[in-house]
Amino acid sequence: MIAENTQTQMRKGILEYCVLLIISRGEIYASDIIAELKQARLLVVEGTLYPLLTRLKNNGLLAYNWVESSAGPPRKYYVLTPLGQEFLKQLDRTWDELNYAITTSQAGANNAQGANQPNT
Amino acid sequence: MMHIEEDAYETLTIYLNEIKQHFVKNADDVEIVTDIENRLAEMLNEKLGNRLAKAITQEDVEAVMSQMGRVQDFGTEEEQFEQPEENYQGAKKLYRDADDQMIAGVCAGLSHYLHIDARWLRVLFLLSVFLGGAGFLIYIIFWIAIPPALSRSERMEMRGESTNLYGYKRHFEEELAAYQASMESGHAFKVPLRRNNFFQELFAAIGRVINLLFKVLSKSLAGIIAIAGFFILVGLIVSLAAFLGFWDTEAYQYFPLSIVNENFRSILAFTLFLVLFIPVLALVMYALRVTFHTLKINKLFSFGLLIVWLAAVSVGVYYAARISSEFKEHAELEQTNALKSFPVYVLNMDKNMVFNRKDSIDYALQAGAERTIIDDTDNHPFRVPRNVYIQIEKSESGKPSLTANYEAQGKTFQEALVQAKNIDYKFNQADNVLTFSPRLSLTHHAIWRNQEVHLTLKLPVGTRLKISDRLYDYLYFYYHHCATDDAAPYSEYKEWIMTEEGLKCKAELDKPQDVVPN
Repeated sequence: MIAENTQTQMRKGILEYCVLLIISRGEIYASDIIAELKQARLLVVEGTLYPLLTRLKNNGLLAYNWVESSAGPPRKYYVLTPLGQEFLKQLDRTWDELNYAITTSQAGANNAQGANQPNT
Repeated sequence: MMHIEEDAYETLTIYLNEIKQHFVKNADDVEIVTDIENRLAEMLNEKLGNRLAKAITQEDVEAVMSQMGRVQDFGTEEEQFEQPEENYQGAKKLYRDADDQMIAGVCAGLSHYLHIDARWLRVLFLLSVFLGGAGFLIYIIFWIAIPPALSRSERMEMRGESTNLYGYKRHFEEELAAYQASMESGHAFKVPLRRNNFFQELFAAIGRVINLLFKVLSKSLAGIIAIAGFFILVGLIVSLAAFLGFWDTEAYQYFPLSIVNENFRSILAFTLFLVLFIPVLALVMYALRVTFHTLKINKLFSFGLLIVWLAAVSVGVYYAARISSEFKEHAELEQTNALKSFPVYVLNMDKNMVFNRKDSIDYALQAGAERTIIDDTDNHPFRVPRNVYIQIEKSESGKPSLTANYEAQGKTFQEALVQAKNIDYKFNQADNVLTFSPRLSLTHHAIWRNQEVHLTLKLPVGTRLKISDRLYDYLYFYYHHCATDDAAPYSEYKEWIMTEEGLKCKAELDKPQDVVPN
């Protein structure tokens, strides 16, 4: 339960970062974002994505263009705004810091484990 | 333009509504929902594009839904937009329950809010009305202050059900089931009306109160009938047991029972028991069914009861006919006793004479004992029809005599004669005092066949009589109101005299003589 909660919290921040990363490569449709996320094994259902996209858009990080579709209603193609690009750079830096923190912590933990249990 | 199968459409509609409900607290709900709807439409279109049949099936919808994800999964990623759910879902609000109202639904509404059975609250309010009427005032205040639950979401809030779509669906299904049940049971479905006016509501409530009072009244009446009937049933069983032999057989010598032939007694007692028991039982069962709706009466059982009752009635009628046929023939037995001559006779009546010597010993009665009062009034419930008649006539032969005519009925003359012989009548002459018994008795085990004794006292002209007041009820002549002077002291005995024209009151004969000289 506690683990689940922590995992959810971790994923939530990372999902947002990943979505921004995916969109940063260029105009993209929501279902394609899902496909990319699935490929990245950050498995989510589409329903989760729309509220997130809407929130990011309302925060001024994203914008979208209407593109006519042959398969149904017009589609929203998302792009990053300059603010979004700036935000993404901040997230990059934060991620590097987090990455360093985690790598260091994990290395420390592994070393400690190795010290406690001498090689067989 | 898309074709969609009915069940698929239903599933999709519910799903979309659920999504709408889920995002309803989100500031951007319209946009998000539109995005999702568009995406769903697109996915369904793609499904259609791949095949010839142009209708969306349940499988298509389910596949699309699984791609979009369940509503419950949305929330975990987007909690920052959600209000804390506990406050919204499952929150209870106090409403008046219009679906379960007795008066205005205050108690029913409180019962949802407090999780107490409404009937206890109603009892509480009713009791507090008797305890000074505070409950009445509180009820009125609640009535005015608490709004009625009219819309579906209000009713769900009242019950503390979450107002998401699952809740809606469940609630709707429950309502539908309740509606169907009420249609089957024949009760009119109560459609809660939207009443804005307190007075409209008040009048409707007064109508319900009258209806309720009527129901309570009829139910309590039914309850009383059930309880009384139950005691009658127990009484019937006890008396059946008594009649069938637990009681001493002396009972059969008293009048209404003494009609019945000895060998008919058991069967007639049993028949009478059934004839009375079954209708009372039916009444009790009906009353119980009125009081408690749940009690069901087996049709076979009631038909069986009816048949048994009819059989008992016919057996009763048969025996009644047989007994009444024994009153067909009449027989008389005459016995004349000569009396010693006296110028004055005293006619007395002695109730103690009903008892024979054996009885006197049994009951420790002593002739002349001062405190012995036996059967002083004739209001006995089992009083034998009057069977002693006394007639006073002029003796043609000039000698006093007493003729007793013993009469009885029977199936044949012979039997009637036997019954007449069974008469046991007490008469006593001690010098000039003639003592009569007020009634005849029957020899042991004889049955009542309208036995009568007609006594004819024949007296020569000029004989004077002193007749006791107590005798008048049995006397068979018409002018027995013998008025005495008001001034004269009261006497139990009135004086009469036998003349050529018959018996005359002496006081009345004296009167003209008094008048003429003056």
